[in-house]
Amino acid sequence: MPEQPFPPEGVIAGGGAMDLSATEAGTVRRPPAAPDGAGEPAPPAAGPAETADRPRSLWSDAWRDLRRNPVFLASALVILFLAVISVWPSLIASGSPLKCDLARAQQGSAPGHPFGFDGQGCDVYTRTVYGARTSVVVGVCATLGVALLGSVLGALAGFFGGWWDGVLSRITDVFFAIPVVLGGLVLLSVVTANSVWPVVGFIVLLGWPQISRIARGSVITVQQNDYVQAARALGASPARLLLRHIAPNAVAPVIVVATIALGTYIALEATLSYLGVGLKPPSVSWGIDISAASPYVRTAPHALLWPSGALAVTVLAFIMLGDAVRDALDPKLR
Amino acid sequence: MLLDVRDLKVEFRTRDGIARAVNGVSFGVDAGETLAVLGESGSGKSVTAQAVMGILDSPPGRITGGEVLFQGRDLLRLGEEERRRVRGAGMAMIFQDALSSLNPVLTVGDQLGEMFVVHRGMSRKDARAKAVELMDRVRIPGARERVKQYPHQFSGGMRQRIMIAMAIALEPALIIADEPTTALDVTVQAQVMDLLAELRREYRMGLVLITHDLGVVADVADRIAVMYAGRIVESAPVHDIYKAPAHPYTRGLLDSVPRLDLKGRELTAIRGLPPNLTRIPPGCAFHPRCPMARDVCRSDEPPLYAVSEVRGSACHFRTECLHA
Amino acid sequence: MGRYVVRRLVQMVPVFIGSTLLIFLMVNVMGDPVAGLCGDRQCDPATAARLRQEFGLDQPVWRQYLTYMGNVFTGDFGTAFNGQEVTELMSTAFPVTLRLTIVAICFEILIGVTLGVLTGLRRGRPVDTGVLLLTLVVVSVPTFVTGLLLQLWLGVQWGWIRPSVSPAAPFGELLLPGLVLASVSLAYVTRLTRTSIAENRRSDYVRTAVAKGLPRRRVVTRHLLRNSLIPVVTFVGADIGFLMGGAIVTERIFNIHGVGYQLYQGIVRQNTQTVVGFVTVLVLVFLLCNLVVDLLYAVLDPRIRYA
Repeated sequence: MPEQPFPPEGVIAGGGAMDLSATEAGTVRRPPAAPDGAGEPAPPAAGPAETADRPRSLWSDAWRDLRRNPVFLASALVILFLAVISVWPSLIASGSPLKCDLARAQQGSAPGHPFGFDGQGCDVYTRTVYGARTSVVVGVCATLGVALLGSVLGALAGFFGGWWDGVLSRITDVFFAIPVVLGGLVLLSVVTANSVWPVVGFIVLLGWPQISRIARGSVITVQQNDYVQAARALGASPARLLLRHIAPNAVAPVIVVATIALGTYIALEATLSYLGVGLKPPSVSWGIDISAASPYVRTAPHALLWPSGALAVTVLAFIMLGDAVRDALDPKLR
Repeated sequence: MLLDVRDLKVEFRTRDGIARAVNGVSFGVDAGETLAVLGESGSGKSVTAQAVMGILDSPPGRITGGEVLFQGRDLLRLGEEERRRVRGAGMAMIFQDALSSLNPVLTVGDQLGEMFVVHRGMSRKDARAKAVELMDRVRIPGARERVKQYPHQFSGGMRQRIMIAMAIALEPALIIADEPTTALDVTVQAQVMDLLAELRREYRMGLVLITHDLGVVADVADRIAVMYAGRIVESAPVHDIYKAPAHPYTRGLLDSVPRLDLKGRELTAIRGLPPNLTRIPPGCAFHPRCPMARDVCRSDEPPLYAVSEVRGSACHFRTECLHA
Repeated sequence: MGRYVVRRLVQMVPVFIGSTLLIFLMVNVMGDPVAGLCGDRQCDPATAARLRQEFGLDQPVWRQYLTYMGNVFTGDFGTAFNGQEVTELMSTAFPVTLRLTIVAICFEILIGVTLGVLTGLRRGRPVDTGVLLLTLVVVSVPTFVTGLLLQLWLGVQWGWIRPSVSPAAPFGELLLPGLVLASVSLAYVTRLTRTSIAENRRSDYVRTAVAKGLPRRRVVTRHLLRNSLIPVVTFVGADIGFLMGGAIVTERIFNIHGVGYQLYQGIVRQNTQTVVGFVTVLVLVFLLCNLVVDLLYAVLDPRIRYA
């Protein structure tokens, strides 16, 4: 990607130019895995110490880190909770999100209705709970689509290079030049079907270049490793090379970016629904509720605050999860 | 004595516990003398240099004890501002990788002249003239034009010359060179080393040469201090050591280097690996790898015994080693 | 350097054509532009056919695109269906959005870089962790939520500012909208600066600067910042293009009559000429910003300049 505004990190950070003290401390931190002095009577004190120095893989190391990271645990719990209530919303909300009573419009909280009522007299609590499903479905489906399409196209471009790489880079540039919300407004304003699928389709359409760029860069980096060159020299077929040697080692950045993107897709769905082109009533979505509540913001701010809070916490959970995973996987920060 | 380091101790806090990188190191350097500090990576030689220079990364590094007497003053007791004035002007340092050690976005003229601007209060113009003079000094051809260039436009050897020019800029009393030729081609190594030795003689500077390369040491050093696991295990004039080492670790180092005068002899590597500094073995730290180790080595830590008036060895069986 | 500029300009052309064509196609899918003309009533077929011919809508799409682009390069962006020149709409809308973007960029630089430098130098301390969490929160809360909440609290409940912006949109009234528009980028700038500072702080040349006996202030400003801010400057530069195109939500919340407002109206009223015209200019601004950023990068980093 010659025209990316940011240089590969190595240019700035100075690649292998690690601080000397860090290098020395580094050897301390990561003791070599080879047992020393084979056959020699092991000194008693060194015995138990050596067993703790098993070699660790990137993933098991990351997992060890994550298990102890409160940010990761908290966001994972939030996401688990969201997943459960989006499958079984009735577990914690008894009423129907569409049962509204205009007489109670804009009223504050009441027994059995902890979040109060919105401008149409619908129960804000029930609607907030049911809104989770939309967000989770859009987020998960869009991310799966984007990740699949983007990583396949990007990996192929990075692996084979040549004209396909050039074309893909240009296409990526084209998509980057179009503001996302604007594209959503234009494309979705024609859609009359009131379901999540047009929104998901739109996100996949505009989202894949981001992942493909990441996947491409990651594949190119991994490809330069000696073990890939060795496998190539030994005559491994391109498919085997890509699937068995490159993909497992190139997938980490894609997973991180996709997790963070999941959060932003949820936010995007809400934004589009807020602008009136995503989902429309009678669908239930936090974006719709926030949009509907904004005219009554002086008289019934609670109808705005609850869905906003739910949306913010959801997006935050995914972004924090991605961030924690990235920190755990990035050896440079260790 | 120009530099007198006494019982220096440095620790690093790491994920796996406290790493004791330097454990009571003492050495001295006279004006005009060259001391080579020899050791494998992880032996604490670079950390010692950084602690002396006052550029230790802290955290995670921390000086936990000792004195660094420089021209009679204990640097560890100076305030940050006084300490800063010593750096560059009183003692200067040359690093291993000149490309990464020079600022990529400033011209070499700016980086050389900066020494004079900051320490001598010179104008930028005068400092620029000084920079050209220095580059001539270290024999960089076309200094007047090249002073406006950036580090990446120079070859490796030329860059290291710039590092040397920067170090001698204010004619410091002491230069610490941390593996100054390791990153260079063999042919260039000798040129750079010769230049350094020549400048040292000319300015009568003390030189601490940190290296793992025995070949470099023999030609330029007056004395050698061998470090292992954060300690000096042997300290002696350079000829004495080459004639007969008084520590099995030094012997191991010498035996693992090919020598022209002993052609046909089999090379022997030191078995095992340097210890993990968070778990240094009790007794003599070298005992798990030592061919001469006995019970006493596993329990008692040997101090640096005097072998003669000018040499010391931290080995219980130094005499046997010497005569082996 | 001259050749580099030319090469980059040439590379811009296919991207420009691609993006505008894409938008052109999208807008064409958007529906029948003539339908919007007759207001709520159904157009009678004869009028519709006449209008179609008048606007060249009976031509194939690719020819419409070529005609349109040809006109654009003579400064003719066409006429909105309500009879107003699109260029006229632009001349009122772009200055407003430009002011909004300037305010946003100022916030990014002032707050983002300051926070980034502070946290980068104090990595791992409580300040750092706090700011880092805060940036995550800011990134997570969608702009429209941030906007509505700030409008609710600062504008309605505490009455510090006017909740909506007057049509003239002077700088003073754009402070809060500018902050809202900047919020997400601001968080990114903070994080980018922090990472860059923290990485470079451990670099060899900073250690050299310390070993040279430079005062701490000089080490930080001349050596550390000079290097660390290169990626930040390029990010902020590229962001100008992003912000101008992304102002739709902010402008809608605060009722600012800028580019986003006109675009929104254009889309809702199916006003194809307005939409395509505005988007074409936005794409152009975006690409030019990126070009300037690339050149800026070469200016700031000699390794690129002499590569």
